[in-house]
Amino acid sequence: MATNRTGTAQRPNGATQGKICQFKLVLLGESAVGKSSLVLRFVKGQFHEYQESTIGAAFLTQTICLDDTTVKFEIWDTAGQERYHSLAPMYYRGAQAAIVVYDITNQDTFGRAKTWVKELQRQASPTIVIALAGNKQDLANKRMVEYEEAQTYADENGLLFMETSAKTAMNVNDIFLAIAKKLPKNEQTTGQGGSAQGRRLAEGDAGAKTAGNCCK
Amino acid sequence: MIPLLKNPEMNFGAITFFARQHKEDMCGSNGLPLTPNSIIIYGRAQKLKSINSPYLCQYLDIIRGKHERTVVVCQYCGIPLLNYLEKETFTLTDIKRIAYQILQGLNILHKRNIVHRNLSSENVLLQGNVIKMFNYGLYYLTDNGKLVSFPVVQLLYAAPEIYLDGIHNSLPNPAVDIWALGIILAELVLNKKLWNYLKVGQRIRKILSLLQSNTSVFERIAREHNAYDEYTNVPDELKEIIESCLNIDPTKRPTCEDLLKKSIFNEFLIQNGYINNDVKKFETFAISELYHWWQLAGGDVLQELKKQGLIRSSPPILSLPHLVLIEGNILGQERNPATLYDPRIVEMPLDALYQRFENISFSAFYPLIQIKSKIISQSEPQSYDATGLPLIIKERDPEYQFHRIILFRRLLHGYPFTKDLIRKEAEKDIPPLLRGEIWAALLDVKSDYKYRYMKLDKYTLTPTDRQIEVDIPRCHQYNELLSSSEGHKKLKRILKAWVFKNSHYVYWQGLDSLTAPFLYLNFNDEAKAFACLSAFVPKFLHKFFLKDNSAVIEEYLAKFSQLIAFHDPVLANHLYEINFYPQLFAIPWFLTLFSHVFPLHKILHLWDKVLLGNSSFSLHIGLSVLTQLRERLLSSGFNECILLFSDLPEVDIEKCVTLSTETFKVTPISITEREHENDEFRTKDEYDISGVTLHDLKQERYPRISARDVIELIRTNPDKILVIDIRNLIQYNRCSVINSISIPFSSISFTENKIENVGNNSTQLESTKDKVVVVIGDEETDLELFPTFLLRCNVKKVCVLHGGFNVLLPVSPTVLVSQNNIG
Repeated sequence: MATNRTGTAQRPNGATQGKICQFKLVLLGESAVGKSSLVLRFVKGQFHEYQESTIGAAFLTQTICLDDTTVKFEIWDTAGQERYHSLAPMYYRGAQAAIVVYDITNQDTFGRAKTWVKELQRQASPTIVIALAGNKQDLANKRMVEYEEAQTYADENGLLFMETSAKTAMNVNDIFLAIAKKLPKNEQTTGQGGSAQGRRLAEGDAGAKTAGNCCK
Repeated sequence: MIPLLKNPEMNFGAITFFARQHKEDMCGSNGLPLTPNSIIIYGRAQKLKSINSPYLCQYLDIIRGKHERTVVVCQYCGIPLLNYLEKETFTLTDIKRIAYQILQGLNILHKRNIVHRNLSSENVLLQGNVIKMFNYGLYYLTDNGKLVSFPVVQLLYAAPEIYLDGIHNSLPNPAVDIWALGIILAELVLNKKLWNYLKVGQRIRKILSLLQSNTSVFERIAREHNAYDEYTNVPDELKEIIESCLNIDPTKRPTCEDLLKKSIFNEFLIQNGYINNDVKKFETFAISELYHWWQLAGGDVLQELKKQGLIRSSPPILSLPHLVLIEGNILGQERNPATLYDPRIVEMPLDALYQRFENISFSAFYPLIQIKSKIISQSEPQSYDATGLPLIIKERDPEYQFHRIILFRRLLHGYPFTKDLIRKEAEKDIPPLLRGEIWAALLDVKSDYKYRYMKLDKYTLTPTDRQIEVDIPRCHQYNELLSSSEGHKKLKRILKAWVFKNSHYVYWQGLDSLTAPFLYLNFNDEAKAFACLSAFVPKFLHKFFLKDNSAVIEEYLAKFSQLIAFHDPVLANHLYEINFYPQLFAIPWFLTLFSHVFPLHKILHLWDKVLLGNSSFSLHIGLSVLTQLRERLLSSGFNECILLFSDLPEVDIEKCVTLSTETFKVTPISITEREHENDEFRTKDEYDISGVTLHDLKQERYPRISARDVIELIRTNPDKILVIDIRNLIQYNRCSVINSISIPFSSISFTENKIENVGNNSTQLESTKDKVVVVIGDEETDLELFPTFLLRCNVKKVCVLHGGFNVLLPVSPTVLVSQNNIG
């Protein structure tokens, strides 16, 4: 465990220098389902009851260790309101992973999550790893979306699926870890690709600009 | 001056009690924690502050202490009626006047759906000829007693139905106040403290025994107190009133309105030849302002309560329960006697304030605002000088705030005729206490705003509701007002009314944050908050809330990039190289004018200036934020930069205000002017920029400047402009802008970013010293390469004349010369 924490890159002999992988991950889902809360829990281990709404998008990074590999997530947390939809392609374009979040106490948000999955399957990179997160598991007594229903849907569509709670931290690290495991780790071995990754997004963004489809 | 301040009407005191604590840390149905009861009280109590009557003690403040403690600060002057009983005799006229005044006060409350239910001769205060009721809001602000664990009731004065229905169950009914009035009047005419010698239980039994009475309740009370003679001496008309008040059937008791119409009150209706005094008199200052100064001068209500022993801290260990179950149930916790109601009132000492204000002259209370004569203006005392002090100090200086409030109060009284003066004074600073009203004046809110708001549908369900409902509980919730349930309700109504009224617009997330400052400042005047928002959006965020606002926002962001390039080419080049576009971080900045980005207290200071500027000002604020983070941005790559904005570090708002005001002043208007600006607030003609497509705009890294601004600069500030003519030399010699330098476009190599490449004139470009560098070309020159080159060479304030050289020809021969003639 401890070695995992310190990371392979710091092993004294240097012989088994671990790989460092960077992945761009995007969070999508209806507003107020807990996207920002999941990220905040994952990145800072915090939870705010009154997490402010996200306008546009927010960006955060977090690194986790997986066996010999250091996985750095570059996370784009997007705005949930339907009107901000047109901004989304700018963020999921070029993303290797996506977490589509819904609120287990609200059936509509599950419907919206399905729409996001469809859009990703159509528009995003064909190799994108998609995870479905049923958030607010701590409110299970007010559940409106059955676990089995979501699990079946996830199986049919080849999605990772977990019920999470940003409030109690349940399954939060696990879902990111599961994504990291599923991501291919042979191609991206960039040591200092921070800005490269950013550039990829920004190029997509430039495309979006000329197409003029931002904020529509 | 002291006599003005030392008016006994200006005294105030405080009471304190605990709100009922939620049993455990429970969540509401939305998964959010339950709002603490003290916050609900805090929200409800705001309405009381807006009630203004000579017969009611003015509510001044609600303070939340530790452990759900609530402190209510309220005007307090005079002596309780109770203290006069059995000592002094009231004349019949006195009693009638007291009855009349209590009825006037109650009527005001009942009209606002507030039931006193706490009325007794102890909290009717008499001073001279005027009574004031005290603590009339307790029942209302505790939501009919539900938010506290003690009963809100005055044992002797409580109508029988209160006991019969159960103190906590009875619905608020104004008839209970009429009963209490009946008891008070009975006390006064009989001059007896009723059942004074009895214990609590016996007293209640006495009240209930009145239900069995065969004769009138009043008569029975008189007999019980051996005062039948006094009873028979009461004039019939008054006796009838008392008896009707003491009707055991609440539905049969008269209302305040009914009683006020009685002929025995006629003598009080007409005063000084006028019927009532409905016209609001102008006061030089109000008690709420005095309270504000008192606080600034060091007054601290909680401290006073501690001194007087009303707030006592006990070691936490004493309040530990004996047993806590794993589900969170608590057993065996001893009831803290402090959670019971403590009726003591602590009057606040005002000496420190009097001392502090000792030297304020009498005339300072009556500042002249329109001085036309020099002699008079010279004889005016010198104004209190605080210029140059930081805003934060000025806002806490009691004397300074005294002068500012007195002045603004007069100006606001004269609004809208004093609009220009208000604006002028607001440029110095805005006193926080009057900010809401001053903002409304700056935004030109018209006097019929209440009526306009009243007419709007705030109730019908719409598809937007879900979004509004999930946004409100996350909007500035650290603020007590906005997190209270009253705050939520009000915000929802305002947003729904706005969406209803602006059918061409839609609700974008962020509109909630934008509304928050207005609601915070006008919490008791929802309509005004709405009116401010309605005036603010067209002026500063025109078209931002269109369903398709992409063109508007894109234009704004493009202009923002250009503004950065104009003032800080080094930073602009860096951000450009790392592909760090404003689109990634600045949308919430401009869409909500930073109200989604900063906490309320910062927004207020920022908007104090925003309201005085135009819709371009927020671009300058954006620039000032970048400037503050400049060093970190310059040394960071894409990821670090974007992280910086996802988690915005502490930004010094006063610095922001200063920086943005500076750049705003020195930036020619056309640099930031946009196609999508509201035509209502500017006039455009052919010398302004127009016809630039969004596509072109986004390609251009440097801004365009209008012919109007160039001519203006050449004429009024020739040393602030450097004109570079990039046409060929023949054209330049034939006709060119006065003092312009010629750098023919074809003579330069743009392969390297070296300013030396421009030749002889490079030194002039290396030290432009804040001059606006205007590049002028024509159809034959490439108007992109050269300015981009200058930008890459980090030359500041580069812009391009829109329309090229020819646009100057018809406009202004006086700014043009021919080199041939000179030669």
